Amino acid sequence: MNWRDAAGLAWSGVGRRFGRSVLTIFSVALAAALLTALLAVAGTARTRVLAQLTRGGPLAGIRVEAAAPNFSELQSDDPAPGAPRAITTEAVDRIASLPEVESVLPVVSVPELVLPTVPGGASGRDGPGPRPFADALVGVSVRDPAVLPVSLVAGRLPTAGSLREVCVTEAYLNRLHISTAQADRVVGTHIALAAPRVFPELAVDPDRGLWVKPEIVGVVVQDAGTGAILGSVQLARQQLAFAQAGLDPGGDFAIPSSPYSGLLVVAKGLNQIGPARVRIADIGYSTSAPEDLIQSVLRYLHVVEIVLSGIGVIALLIASLGICGAMLAAVRERRREIGVLKAIGARDRDVRHVFLVEAGLIGFIGGTIGTLAGWVMARILGGAVNRYLTQQGLAGVRVSVPLLLLAAGVVGSTALALVAGVLPAQRAARLPAREAVAEG
Amino acid sequence: MTNPTRPDRSSSPASAEVPGRGAAITVRGLSHAFHAPEGTLHVLRDVSLDVPAGAYVTITGSSGAGKSTLLSVLGGLDAPQTGTVEVGGTNLHGLRGDGLASYRRATVGFVFQHFGLVETLSALENVELAAALAGTGRRARRRSAQRLLEAVGLADRAAHRPARLSGGERQRVAIARALVNAPRLVLADEPTGNLDEESAVGVISLLERVHRELGGTLVVVTHNRLLAVRAPRRLRLHDGSLHPAA
Repeated sequence: MNWRDAAGLAWSGVGRRFGRSVLTIFSVALAAALLTALLAVAGTARTRVLAQLTRGGPLAGIRVEAAAPNFSELQSDDPAPGAPRAITTEAVDRIASLPEVESVLPVVSVPELVLPTVPGGASGRDGPGPRPFADALVGVSVRDPAVLPVSLVAGRLPTAGSLREVCVTEAYLNRLHISTAQADRVVGTHIALAAPRVFPELAVDPDRGLWVKPEIVGVVVQDAGTGAILGSVQLARQQLAFAQAGLDPGGDFAIPSSPYSGLLVVAKGLNQIGPARVRIADIGYSTSAPEDLIQSVLRYLHVVEIVLSGIGVIALLIASLGICGAMLAAVRERRREIGVLKAIGARDRDVRHVFLVEAGLIGFIGGTIGTLAGWVMARILGGAVNRYLTQQGLAGVRVSVPLLLLAAGVVGSTALALVAGVLPAQRAARLPAREAVAEG
Repeated sequence: MTNPTRPDRSSSPASAEVPGRGAAITVRGLSHAFHAPEGTLHVLRDVSLDVPAGAYVTITGSSGAGKSTLLSVLGGLDAPQTGTVEVGGTNLHGLRGDGLASYRRATVGFVFQHFGLVETLSALENVELAAALAGTGRRARRRSAQRLLEAVGLADRAAHRPARLSGGERQRVAIARALVNAPRLVLADEPTGNLDEESAVGVISLLERVHRELGGTLVVVTHNRLLAVRAPRRLRLHDGSLHPAA
């Protein structure tokens, strides 16, 4: 008997005791759903926690300050910068060429006079709006958002290279007395920014500014640099070039002399962070990275994942026992039929195949239904959590169920069911053919 | 009464034989016992038997006389414990497991009192099942099964499941299944035991017609003396020994 015929006979066996088959499949489905949902939620929680730690940036991210290193800082996650030191283009190139480094993202920070616009109202420059305030524009390359320590709260990131789009942070919202939950309100409004420059040759009003009025396209939580405005590196360079062209004798505007206020360096893995920091310190710059914290959190998260997986696997094992019990009962009930099968020519292995396929079918059907149900449950749960987070003015979560997890759910359920079917299949295969003529 | 140790030749085998592809049966000194906690039960005692190829034989006997056990041994459901059993040139003594399964597939067609049909399969699929076990291709076995169902008068019931067939119809499906691999020996264990008189006559007539037309050896175990006398050669099992029936 080939596998196809065995599958046909097994399928008819699944349909024989419909109620029992449905219950057995249901138990497998429930376990698979639980496992899928738990792992999906655990995965999402892991991503969320790590995103919170890194502000959405890469796990292996290192911040490089425009300051001399303090070698004691290499023993901790926190920065302890020395004297200010300009980050030169040559230094950027040297850091980028380190074997432990994956990528380097320059950060350009420039002080700005900010004139906000109240949503639906006037700007401070136009009249009785909110008061202007001094802050900073942080310019980064937004070509690859995955390596930025930036989380979106509302809207989107500026277009790469744009001189007309910026994002603002919660600090900006606070200035306007807008809660984070209402962050959407500022999206689409404009903001006036002026990079300061001192013209000593002017006797009257020597302090002037280069005004730009970009649109606010998003609200973010960012850790790329200190400042309430996040824009493209091109916009920041334009502003910085204007500011650095003047004199700042009193240092009132704290215009940086360094072309870069910092660097965001991505190491080639968590274990490369330490060596990379040592090498960057050797080049002459202060660094910080939450590697110890991340390692600790990862360990805890791993334990949580193991515990949650364990719960799901235990549920699947219990379901497997259910399959085993149901199939042993089926073997008991079908002794004569098995005897007849053998009487008409079935070999032991033919009978074994039929029962194994029957167990596998139950596992496959239950696993498929359960995994899909788990995916739906995770989505529903994620939606509820997302609503709650948004209401609290926090960045939402996106529940992602990897395809591999779905496939593993189905394959794992089927495999466990097959294992559970081994004993009944073996018992059925060993039944003597004389059962065909036995009384009963 | 014949000596049970001597091959039984009391009936006239010549009149029961249909020349063709039947399997001759030779049994010498067959004994069979079951071991139970209450003690050993000797079901067959030193049975010897010769059935020529193509013969039609009925075996009667009271309950527990060993009829089904003899049929099980002849059909390869049980391995002979002592003595020799040769069917169609195959010595069953050394056969176990796959060897016996192969013998059953190639040589024997079973008809059971309880029909032995798979309840979840249609009549056609039940007949096909035996052919599938013999490795016959999908199309060929469907053709054979349809032809056999037609031969037993159930072409219009091919798609019906056993639960929707009468007892007589189920047994006819079982006969079709027994024949699908063209066996050289058909063993029927109380084939009319669960049928009313009319259906019983119909089923036994069908078996006899099949025997005449296909030429296999036919051994029928039955309680029904009226049906038993239809066979040219009749045997009776009593206390584990085989005797010619009156």
